[in-house]
Amino acid sequence: MTKRRLLQLLAVLFAFSLVAAACGDSDSDDSSGDGDSEQQADDGNQTAAEATTTEAPEAPVATEPAAPDVEEGATGGTLIWAHEQEPPDLHLNDPNNNLTVTAWLLQPMLEDLYGISAAVTFYPELLAEEAELVDNGDGTITANYTLRGGLSWSDGEPLTANDVLFTWETIMEEGEPDEEGNPTMVLSYADRTGYDTIIDFTVNSDTEFSITWSAFFAGWKGLFTNVLPSHALPGGAAEAEEALRDWTNAAGDTLPSSGPLVFENWEREVAVTYSVNANYHGSMSPDARNDGLPFVDEVVARFVPDTDAQINALKAEEAHLITAQPQTAFGEEVATDDTFQVATAPGPIFEHWGLNLLNPHLTDPLVREALAYALDKGAVMEFLYTPIFGSALPASGLGNTYWMTNQPQYENHQQEYDGAQTDAAAAKLAEAGYTLNGDGIYEHPERGALTLRVGTTGGNALRELQQQIIQAQLKDAGIDIVIDNVPGAAYFGEKPFSGEALAASSSAGAEGDPTIWDITQFAWVGGPWPGSQSGAYKHTSGFMPYGFVSEDFVTRSDECDATVDDTTRDACYNELNRWVTTLEIDAEDGLFMLPLTQKPTFYAYNKVLLLGAGASPDVNHGGPLANVVDFQLAG
Amino acid sequence: MRGGGFGLLPAPLVPLDVSLGESPVFAYAARRLLATVPLFLLATLAVFWLVNEVGDPRDRLATCSTCDQSAYDHLVELYQLEDPIVVRWGNWLGAAVTGDMGEAISQGNEPVMGIVRERAKNTALIAIPAFLLTVVVALGMSVWSAIRQYSASDYLITGVSFIGIAIPTFVLGLALQTLMLWSLKYWDLKPFYVSGMRDDSLLEFFRSAAMPAFTLAFISIGAEARFGRAAMLEVVGSDYIRTARAKGLAERTVIMKHALRNGLVTFVTVWALDFAALVGGALITETVFNWPGLGRLLIGSLFAQDIHLAMAAIFFISGLAIVCNLLADLLYGVIDPRIRFD
Repeated sequence: MTKRRLLQLLAVLFAFSLVAAACGDSDSDDSSGDGDSEQQADDGNQTAAEATTTEAPEAPVATEPAAPDVEEGATGGTLIWAHEQEPPDLHLNDPNNNLTVTAWLLQPMLEDLYGISAAVTFYPELLAEEAELVDNGDGTITANYTLRGGLSWSDGEPLTANDVLFTWETIMEEGEPDEEGNPTMVLSYADRTGYDTIIDFTVNSDTEFSITWSAFFAGWKGLFTNVLPSHALPGGAAEAEEALRDWTNAAGDTLPSSGPLVFENWEREVAVTYSVNANYHGSMSPDARNDGLPFVDEVVARFVPDTDAQINALKAEEAHLITAQPQTAFGEEVATDDTFQVATAPGPIFEHWGLNLLNPHLTDPLVREALAYALDKGAVMEFLYTPIFGSALPASGLGNTYWMTNQPQYENHQQEYDGAQTDAAAAKLAEAGYTLNGDGIYEHPERGALTLRVGTTGGNALRELQQQIIQAQLKDAGIDIVIDNVPGAAYFGEKPFSGEALAASSSAGAEGDPTIWDITQFAWVGGPWPGSQSGAYKHTSGFMPYGFVSEDFVTRSDECDATVDDTTRDACYNELNRWVTTLEIDAEDGLFMLPLTQKPTFYAYNKVLLLGAGASPDVNHGGPLANVVDFQLAG
Repeated sequence: MRGGGFGLLPAPLVPLDVSLGESPVFAYAARRLLATVPLFLLATLAVFWLVNEVGDPRDRLATCSTCDQSAYDHLVELYQLEDPIVVRWGNWLGAAVTGDMGEAISQGNEPVMGIVRERAKNTALIAIPAFLLTVVVALGMSVWSAIRQYSASDYLITGVSFIGIAIPTFVLGLALQTLMLWSLKYWDLKPFYVSGMRDDSLLEFFRSAAMPAFTLAFISIGAEARFGRAAMLEVVGSDYIRTARAKGLAERTVIMKHALRNGLVTFVTVWALDFAALVGGALITETVFNWPGLGRLLIGSLFAQDIHLAMAAIFFISGLAIVCNLLADLLYGVIDPRIRFD
């Protein structure tokens, strides 16, 4: 055979191997097994997220696609989740990390004492039942906990009360004082609030323990997220500080999991790979249909920074699930392509316009009311969100900054301002001494033309469109809005959270520079315990940008947090919301928050490959792997 | 011995028995290398300033409500943020020349050099095949176009070249991905991956590297084919080529042995520059195809305000560009001995 013929033959063979590899191949392994499986999904207790409030807006329902029939025995395979962002490491509580994606990657590995349901409520996760709260009568509060029986780490070691104790001790372990003699902590930890007031931790048995606080902490159920494995971290906090970064302890062993997945490896800029925790004790989530092991054999979180690349990977069956930012073009493309199923639900994050009370115009409550009347949230929803997310979000927008629409405590406190009420806005401005100038913009004899800058993170298409829609609405009401964005996350450090702006805000303008911004548009993150939202409004937090200096609010907020009774405390938070979203309580400095909408959690999955994905999109910002036990690949 | 010929045929290449130590090539190379040092220093200073102007790393902490002063202090110490930019650059450079380019805060504080090496390797895995494909195809297109000037095939090649020059990289990349999606949708056939690098096997690697490599190559082929065509046309129209044909030499010999070797001068220059551009400019291709290479690393480090990592990536790319330029100059003189190195 001549050399030429040999080369030709090799070329043909090579081409054939490509075709053979291409035909019917997809990135997922075929699911295995036709036989019975121990992993049959329960019917589950999946609840629709319905608002049950006295002022009931249209109740948003999590958009669950009609789940295809789940094949019996459809187990096995590798689930691939394509995500845009890669964290620097897995140490969630290192302030230099502090990324949502880190929490998402940790979600299936470490469980909490209390989990968070789709209805944004706490449920016992590692606990057998709700903890019993006891008021000791001397100001201290004791919670008596009982862990579920049979809890186990992935390496077979039992998960006991000592692990919870270890977690607390690790968080609170002190290091050597610094040069100025100030105490330092060994473990980098974002927020020790609630841990630092524990005065007693008693382990009564492997499953029973009691915690006593010096004073009631309203967010107590949110403590002890990510219980740590004491047996794998014999070096304590110092070892944990390093081990939590690359998930490997000092002995070189991978940290064990208490969740459904076990960390396998991390290939930088490529993927994090998990295997199934064979010793998983089962999920207690009311939203999970499967209380056994995950159906899949392996999960790969692949890092794909580009949204178009994510969509193409999904279409090409190289990813099963994506959680891209719900930008408009993406939403339109994905929603109209029958290759995909799209699942959305109202999330715990809410968008808002925040007003700078130190601005000469906005310091006048009549001007703020005029803004509220002129801004039509319903129109924003109609033009921007409903076409993409359907009925997942309430059509009237959001009227509360403490409670979200899918929480039973939700009340819409801004109903009075619903719709485009330009006449009411005009009346308020006239009352404030404004008159229309030749440009159709209201003007004050001393303050000048009513021109206000609104800024946000530039480059976010959805937010920029939102600005433009509201800009047009306010112009109709004679209010001139100038868009003043800064690209990306740099916006925060340059505008509302710059040192000068925060100094001005917390000192009511006595210090710093109050002129850096007028109106800010961004998102805060809510949760089952809304008390943390008060940090955004208390001038003592050091993190309040709105110029709202109110000792009364701080006092009342602390009272709310100290209220033991759940119902009373929930109503107290609604009162705080009235403080900031209306003029009912503070006629001078109230109404500086204009909540717009909840940001929908949004993910798309390839329905050709993925079954059982009636699992709710995670509304609690725990990420798509919060429901990993329910995902199944097509047979 | 240097060729001489009779002025009708080109001089042959410099014979191999001339030692480099005695050759002006070595002296020229040494002078060029020395001359690049201030250029390199200036480039690193300019880039260092630009990277730091992208944003203050402390901005990332602006929304961290639970970050205390230690988080800011850590960044100040790590990047010497309170020192003048020139001082910071000097300290960075001093450490860099000893091989210590710092740690990457966006990648778990891993040493930067290891990360850059790994990513450079990944980029090379598509850049080198792209380069080889470019060399072969562009050369072929240029020669064919030149010897078939104004023919239908010449016009076709010209059209393809212009498409390659005009089409943005990301458009081509997305178009190729779309082609794969159509193939999958209508024929259940997907020979190549649209995203990510696979290294399970050689075949899987080829299936994942083919499209990004082709994307890189297509863009370069367009430009090189045009340059090459012009160079070959000039050579093919020369008197000595006409003489060679008049002497009765086979057309293949005339083109491959005489015309091409003289046209190579242009190609060599373009190849050297193109290789540096392939490595440094694979950024968009790597983003579209999710290839974990140097370009994607650079973009990610800039977004994460990871100064050390960004500088290391740029340091590598600019160093490669300087070396490739020098190589182009040296090869230029080696191929055409009429070019003097003094």
